[in-house]
Amino acid sequence: MAGAADTAPKRGRFAPYGLLSPGIIWLILFFLVPVAILLRAALSSQPERFVPDDLRFKWKWSNFSNALDRFGPQFQDAMRNALIAAVVVAVIIAAVVVLRRGLWHNTRARRLLVGALVAGFFGAYIITSTVDGWGDHFQRSFLYAGIATLLCIAIGYPLAYVIAFRGGAYKNLLLGLVVVPFFTTYLIRTIAWKTILFDNGPVVDFLQTIGVLGDSGRLLATPGAVIGGLTYNFLPFMVLPIYVSLEKIDVNLVDAARDLYSSPARAFRKVVLPLSLPGVFAGTLLTFIPASGDFINAEFLGSPTTSMIGNVVQNQFLVQLDYPTAAALSFVLMAIITVAVLVYARVLGTEDLTG
Amino acid sequence: MTTVERALDSPAAVEVQRSFPPPWLRRAGSWLLNIYAGLALVYLFIPIAVVVAFSFNAENTNFNFTWDGFTFANWTHPFADQGLVDAFVLSLEIAAIATAIAVVLGGLIALALTRYRFRGSGFVNLFLVLPLTTPEIVLGASLASLFIAKTYPSPVPDSRGFAAVLIAHVMFCVSFVALTVKARLRGFDWTLEDAAMDLGAGPVRTFTKVTFPLMIPGILAAALLSFALSLDDFIITQFNSGDQTTFPIYIYGAAQRAIPPQIQVLSSMILIVSVGILVTGTFFGRRKERAATS
Amino acid sequence: MSNDRSSKPPAGGLSRRDFLTRGAAVAGGLAAAPYLLGGSPAWAAVEEGAKVGGKLDVLNWIGYIDKKSKKDFPKQTGIKLKYSEALDDNNTFFAKYQEQFANDDHIGFDIVAPTTWMAARLIELEYVQPLPFDLMENRGSLRAELENPVWDPTGEFTLPWQTGYTGIAYNIEATGREITSVEDLFDPKFKGRVGWLLEMRDSLTLAMLSTGMTGEEIAAGVTFNDAKPAFDRLEKAAQGGQIRRFTGNSYVSDLLSGDFALNVSWSGDVAQLTTQEPNLRFVVPDEGGHGFWADVMCMVATSKRSKQVAAWLDYFYDPVNAARVADTTSYISPVADITDELATINPEAAENTILFPPQDVLDRLVQFPLLDPDDEERFDRRYAEITGG
Repeated sequence: MAGAADTAPKRGRFAPYGLLSPGIIWLILFFLVPVAILLRAALSSQPERFVPDDLRFKWKWSNFSNALDRFGPQFQDAMRNALIAAVVVAVIIAAVVVLRRGLWHNTRARRLLVGALVAGFFGAYIITSTVDGWGDHFQRSFLYAGIATLLCIAIGYPLAYVIAFRGGAYKNLLLGLVVVPFFTTYLIRTIAWKTILFDNGPVVDFLQTIGVLGDSGRLLATPGAVIGGLTYNFLPFMVLPIYVSLEKIDVNLVDAARDLYSSPARAFRKVVLPLSLPGVFAGTLLTFIPASGDFINAEFLGSPTTSMIGNVVQNQFLVQLDYPTAAALSFVLMAIITVAVLVYARVLGTEDLTG
Repeated sequence: MTTVERALDSPAAVEVQRSFPPPWLRRAGSWLLNIYAGLALVYLFIPIAVVVAFSFNAENTNFNFTWDGFTFANWTHPFADQGLVDAFVLSLEIAAIATAIAVVLGGLIALALTRYRFRGSGFVNLFLVLPLTTPEIVLGASLASLFIAKTYPSPVPDSRGFAAVLIAHVMFCVSFVALTVKARLRGFDWTLEDAAMDLGAGPVRTFTKVTFPLMIPGILAAALLSFALSLDDFIITQFNSGDQTTFPIYIYGAAQRAIPPQIQVLSSMILIVSVGILVTGTFFGRRKERAATS
Repeated sequence: MSNDRSSKPPAGGLSRRDFLTRGAAVAGGLAAAPYLLGGSPAWAAVEEGAKVGGKLDVLNWIGYIDKKSKKDFPKQTGIKLKYSEALDDNNTFFAKYQEQFANDDHIGFDIVAPTTWMAARLIELEYVQPLPFDLMENRGSLRAELENPVWDPTGEFTLPWQTGYTGIAYNIEATGREITSVEDLFDPKFKGRVGWLLEMRDSLTLAMLSTGMTGEEIAAGVTFNDAKPAFDRLEKAAQGGQIRRFTGNSYVSDLLSGDFALNVSWSGDVAQLTTQEPNLRFVVPDEGGHGFWADVMCMVATSKRSKQVAAWLDYFYDPVNAARVADTTSYISPVADITDELATINPEAAENTILFPPQDVLDRLVQFPLLDPDDEERFDRRYAEITGG
């Protein structure tokens, strides 16, 4: 905003802390403390089964390796290869930078280099993952969530764009229509997809007739169905932030860019897209993070070979009562996501995480 | 703005491209984009259409899955399933209370963050985002570790249940409320408050007459959002519900066997109400706008 | 509260055995008399004297009772009934209430109806108390198959609510042939269209039969090593895409939609469906099936409502009421000799061979034995890895 000094926030001594404290204390008590307790559980040893004893804290790091050996062996391999690839790329980059010092001061080049690093990492990760069959729970989680996020961008961005720039007087109505389906419970929506995509249903029939699916082909109980479910369920979380960032763009600016660049595609690429990246960034987080921890879609639309890390955590925690394993897996999930978010924020150059 | 300036600074090879996409192609592309967006919107409603359709299903197998003919019977007895009604009422109750608490706590945080400059505000901003960047399953498991009380030495018994679900819902709603209200308050001219004070209004009066009314749109949006999130939450709730059966938990249980058509009826009702609110909102909003401009 | 358990008097004058023998005698002729004479049934006598009154909280599986009983039982007995259908999985049930059980906190229910192996665990951990047989009227009798339960060696703690057995359900249109063997579950022709049950004991029995173990060997006792080949075979089938899903009760919708060509299935749901869907069949494979298993009523240790619990058991061990419940669930009533009562409500059901299996089917059924608690943990862990959780 055109920040004239007199509209700026006031300096507060005690008042801001007073206003903050109830909410922040709530978050400390019911977010930070529980996470700390979960970490404690991940490092504890389980008492004998069915003995109503508390967990005993023992710095038991082996919980992590055991849990990963059971539910993420291939993920570990892929991570190792990816890290090796990233180190190799980093060494090459370092060599190039040393040879041409000027590169490090060029923002664009720096971004490209970081991009190469990340690409090397994920490239190696994906190659290793796909070589070996179905992968494991962790791999599937990140792979499915990643693909679903990309699909959400592919579907959601044009939708947000049309609403923001061509919605006219119906902007709010259209935006509302994006949100309305989500007042129908998540579970009901997911189960509804089962009724739509079943093997003898019209959709599968049609796809078989036109030859997309083989005669014994199916949609349900495949990775595709799980990814489709995730895409569907998290689409609004992509559309809304992108819409917000597009809406902020001054239409005059776009017009000016059109005049300047002539081609609408170019104008889009040079002006609209960069300005909407914060929205894409926020949308990606709001889609990828819940999708990678989800277990509903895998449970209803998937098969044993598509179950994700969320399914494991849920089962270990709520059914098997194996708290250390569930806690260790939760922490690995959380750690990976945190690292991914930080890297992503770096690459996209968006410091303003908080929107 | 720097990105744009940079972008505008380098209009390379503009002249060559000026005539490239001929107008007819541009129009076609524009139409294709509209159609694509329309299809995306339709896609969002496909399963919803199925839910509404099956609310009219004359199921005869106790398993509302195959289409067995049209009936209004489910709609004339929407509350036939007592367990479902109880679960639905419980969910509404939790959503209402959680929203009320979260709006107060989150609203205050937003006020503090936008109205004042203070040490540690950056940290608070980051802290607010953390619950949103943590997968639900981790939030659920960690809260459950707190409430089960088996995971650490404590004299407290297993306290999963109504209060636990409420606490959990408030927790994730506070962040959403704070961020939503904050976004609306940013750029708000705080000198208005000083003006009110100069005109002799006390701090309370200033808040109720100036600050709060300006916060209302943000608060309404945030409240609607938290209500919807709370009503729909399954994962965190499942970890902490104990013996409480909320609407999503009831559906999960029912999905193990038979989805009573009343679930579809209730879902359709929610849908109709929300579309109704949306359409009337748009209608009145436009009338107001027209009235204001004329 | 914590002292209750130790100070609780042993089950009163009438033990389960007495109940059974007396019940059998009554069923031999006396019980039917009031109905034949058009008089009021015995539990109605309670009503005329003094209604039992009070409250009763019951936790049972979904769709496991008829609508009439839910209204009629409170009317007849004056008991305010809270009937919950929130029991959807034995393990989840245990996980949900274990802390409360262990701390002697009342879980909010007087009667719970877990499956036998879970009941055995509850008995072992002293989370349930002996049923008030001494307060019960004589009512019907137990089926012979259920009289010496392995899950409840003293017979004091449980009475079955419904029983059934596990075989293979299939859609003849989808399979194109009759299914007779557990090997059919592994036939590549049905790749991706086979369902198994999440309930480990059901699936494992069939899988072990498929690895060449006999019914006698299984019933005699199973160690983790015995089950290893079966687990491996299941894992291979799951990872290779042969198995589409592991499910609870929800397999019914998969069968109806045709997503499952065949699946490991409980007798009740399918019995109900075969009358409406002529293509659906149910078979106990040649190698054998799992049964009888039962969901059994237990009285939680902290409940003080013995009278109401007794009234509940009485009511549902009345052949007329039992027949009505069985007609709704299409499972097998634990109450013997309800054929006549069922025939008056639903003549077709009384002829249904799934509800009243012939002797050669009964002979093929295998009861999965109780597992050693240490072994059980390994079983559970392994099975969870296979089923994808």
